[in-house]
Amino acid sequence: MPADLLNGFRVLDMGSGISAPWCAKILADYGAEVIKVETPGSGDLARRMGPFAGDDPNPEKSLTFLYLNTNKKSVTLDPSSVSGRKLLDRLLADADVLVDNYPPFVSKELGLDYASLSAVNPGLVVTSIAPFGQTGPYHDYQATDIVTYALSGLMYHSGDSDQPPLRNVLDQSFYVAGANGAAATQIALFARLGTGEGQHVDVSAAECLGAHLVQPLPYYNYMGAVKGRRPVRGAGFEELMPARDGYVAPSVQGSRPWEVIANLIGLEELLDEKFSTGAGRVAHGEELKELLTKGLAQWDRMPLFLASGEARLVFGMAQDAGDLFNCPHLEARDFFVEVDHPVVGQAKYPGMAVRLPGEPLTDSQPAPLLGQHNSEIFGQELGYSAQDLVSLRQLGVI
Amino acid sequence: MSPACSENAPLKNIRVMDLSRVFAMPFAGANLADLGAEVIKIDTCQTQFMDTTRTITGPFPDNEPGERWWEQGGTFQNLNRGKRSLTLDLRNEASQQIIKDLVSVCDVVLENFTPRVMARFGLDYASLKAHKPDLIMVSNTGYGHSGPWSNFGAMASALEPTHGTGAFMGYMESGPEGCLVEGDVPNKMGNSYSDFLASWTALGALMGSLLRRARTGQGQWIDLAMYQTGTSVIGAGLLDFAFNDRRTQRIGNRHPFLSPHGVYSCQGHDQWVAIATRDDADWVAICQAIGQPELTSDDRFADPIARRQHQEALDAIITAWTSAQTSYQVMETLQQAGLPSGAVLTAKQALTDPQYIDRGFFETVHNPPEVELRDKGYVGRGWKFSKSEARIKGPAPQLGEANEYVLGELLGVDQARMQALTEDWTIGNLPEGGGAPGSVPLDEQVEIGSIVAYDADYLGLLPLE
Repeated sequence: MPADLLNGFRVLDMGSGISAPWCAKILADYGAEVIKVETPGSGDLARRMGPFAGDDPNPEKSLTFLYLNTNKKSVTLDPSSVSGRKLLDRLLADADVLVDNYPPFVSKELGLDYASLSAVNPGLVVTSIAPFGQTGPYHDYQATDIVTYALSGLMYHSGDSDQPPLRNVLDQSFYVAGANGAAATQIALFARLGTGEGQHVDVSAAECLGAHLVQPLPYYNYMGAVKGRRPVRGAGFEELMPARDGYVAPSVQGSRPWEVIANLIGLEELLDEKFSTGAGRVAHGEELKELLTKGLAQWDRMPLFLASGEARLVFGMAQDAGDLFNCPHLEARDFFVEVDHPVVGQAKYPGMAVRLPGEPLTDSQPAPLLGQHNSEIFGQELGYSAQDLVSLRQLGVI
Repeated sequence: MSPACSENAPLKNIRVMDLSRVFAMPFAGANLADLGAEVIKIDTCQTQFMDTTRTITGPFPDNEPGERWWEQGGTFQNLNRGKRSLTLDLRNEASQQIIKDLVSVCDVVLENFTPRVMARFGLDYASLKAHKPDLIMVSNTGYGHSGPWSNFGAMASALEPTHGTGAFMGYMESGPEGCLVEGDVPNKMGNSYSDFLASWTALGALMGSLLRRARTGQGQWIDLAMYQTGTSVIGAGLLDFAFNDRRTQRIGNRHPFLSPHGVYSCQGHDQWVAIATRDDADWVAICQAIGQPELTSDDRFADPIARRQHQEALDAIITAWTSAQTSYQVMETLQQAGLPSGAVLTAKQALTDPQYIDRGFFETVHNPPEVELRDKGYVGRGWKFSKSEARIKGPAPQLGEANEYVLGELLGVDQARMQALTEDWTIGNLPEGGGAPGSVPLDEQVEIGSIVAYDADYLGLLPLE
């Protein structure tokens, strides 16, 4: 890490929080040079988001920020000041991509809308991620993750049918938007190979999630049915069920005969013919759930999971952060990377979502301190003198 | 370049062999087709080996699998729109040879077999690369091609808790003094969440690989383990363990530091609105919006910390206000006051939602009459390009509709050999064995909870497509 897919591309990460920084981190992990452009003083909003290392709310200790910004550089500038804008325009001239997640009205106010940016560099790909995109009646709606999830149409299906819809995991809407943004940005770069032109990529987080409706949507427009939350009565399978040391997810999927499942769980009553078909499992649901509960109570999660895999079944188990951190399989795949950060010290961080065999694996760089690369980028690269940088700092520009 | 595809389609010169099944990679392939790639789905006539979205997933038009049921599944159509279809029987050597020949004229291969299967067919990356040195291939599996679990199969429904999301999602439970505390039972986002993470990740890694191929001529094998992809999106939670020893956070719809925050019941069956309060200004605004400005001077709700402690009382006050209105009414009132709020949409509501409609998110596909599907709207994608074209190119392919094109035109297979392949059911346009899947009546589906309700007159309720 990072890989070399995007070597030679330069990305300005004007984002804050999760969606745009996650997008830019994926590009950084693929080998792009990513420069975060942060607000002088406060920086990326994620610096103020928990959790914090040692529960100390120091802007250099936000774990959300530290995770989302590895392999990036940080400069600070205020784009609304004349000198700040000049600095930004110099950076824009040499950049291939700009990623932002400003509310649409803010980018216009700051003169950072696509029309203004492309006037400086027509080859620039500008990826703007917003909860509802740049257009439409909701484009200026206020939103956090839960609101985005709700309006996407996906939240209605999360959680239990006898409870309210349940919020997703750790601001997932914005991770899904960021991953979509990274793909779409690269598509625009690929198009640029043919046209030589940049363009604007308008990413709507709610629509990125809405694209997941490949089942609930046709349920309605093919047969008028409204799909809801689980569980389906009498199932037990594909649900979280208690085992001895936590929860497991037994599954009937994977095209294996019922007796393989019954034998794995190891309860003779389960071998009854009446459970061997999907219809039978629904018809005798309550009895089956009782037996399943009894059978699973004899198992710990990991032995059941491993036995399922060996039997070519696809059971799952509920793992927490500690389980994953100590997972032998992730370890064997070199998923975690060592990162040494000047303020919080050394730790193992989750690595890339994909493995790219044959890629050189090098150390990950820690997330940058606020403005850590001001002298490198503004000084060495753009040629501002040490004295210039001091005055810019005193003026609050950087 | 397919005829339906314009000059502005970014992937107009890319050809993809799609060996994948079910959700994750077929959907990545569908997105590539939307971008102009020619995507050839490797289908089969043998019903028992067909993509299960062709055979059992449904939903079927009006819940009745028709005469051509294998072309009619709504999920299949969403996931395979705009592709071509070549039938083969991967168990025979002739088919395996055709795959190798076809790889030499493709740019990208998508597959999601467990590792032992592709090796058994002699179709692993190393073997295919011999026929196409700069091949880019995504191998999507549950656990990846290395490590002790690499040969384990996986399905999103059971994989989701395994990759840890259940540690950070679950309802709260009643604590010792009757107030709610962090829950013990993991929950799921469901709806095959892990599959879609894999779709987006595959798309990104593929595009990066195509960009590098353009620069250096190198191919790339992408070993995509859904277990790992699912773990990468909870990095902040994992670091909370690394630095603070914390393992879970199951706080229902509450937020670690914002309050009030959650979903609130509205008029109608199972209708909800999401509301978040980000700061003091939002708090004042919500008190005014619900007509209770005096709450701002109530000590129980003085700041977010106090509000989190008394959130049950606060939620009851807010629910009293929301439950007399529709979710859209609450959303509009609160948005006018500058507060983050949104109706929790069902798929039915999404289909008529003004934002989705204004942005043309659902794209209409005209189906050929013999498939008996009418015109249908399918999910689009979450990004729009100011210059490049991305749109659904057409319906999912009928079984084997591209057999002549791929074998005859692309690979130069002669008529005699084509005839032999037809005779042993390697190629064809009809399923061999098996019949139409059964369907459970909608009333029964309501009763067992697999659907909430249904509208017999749904066609009249949909926007014109």
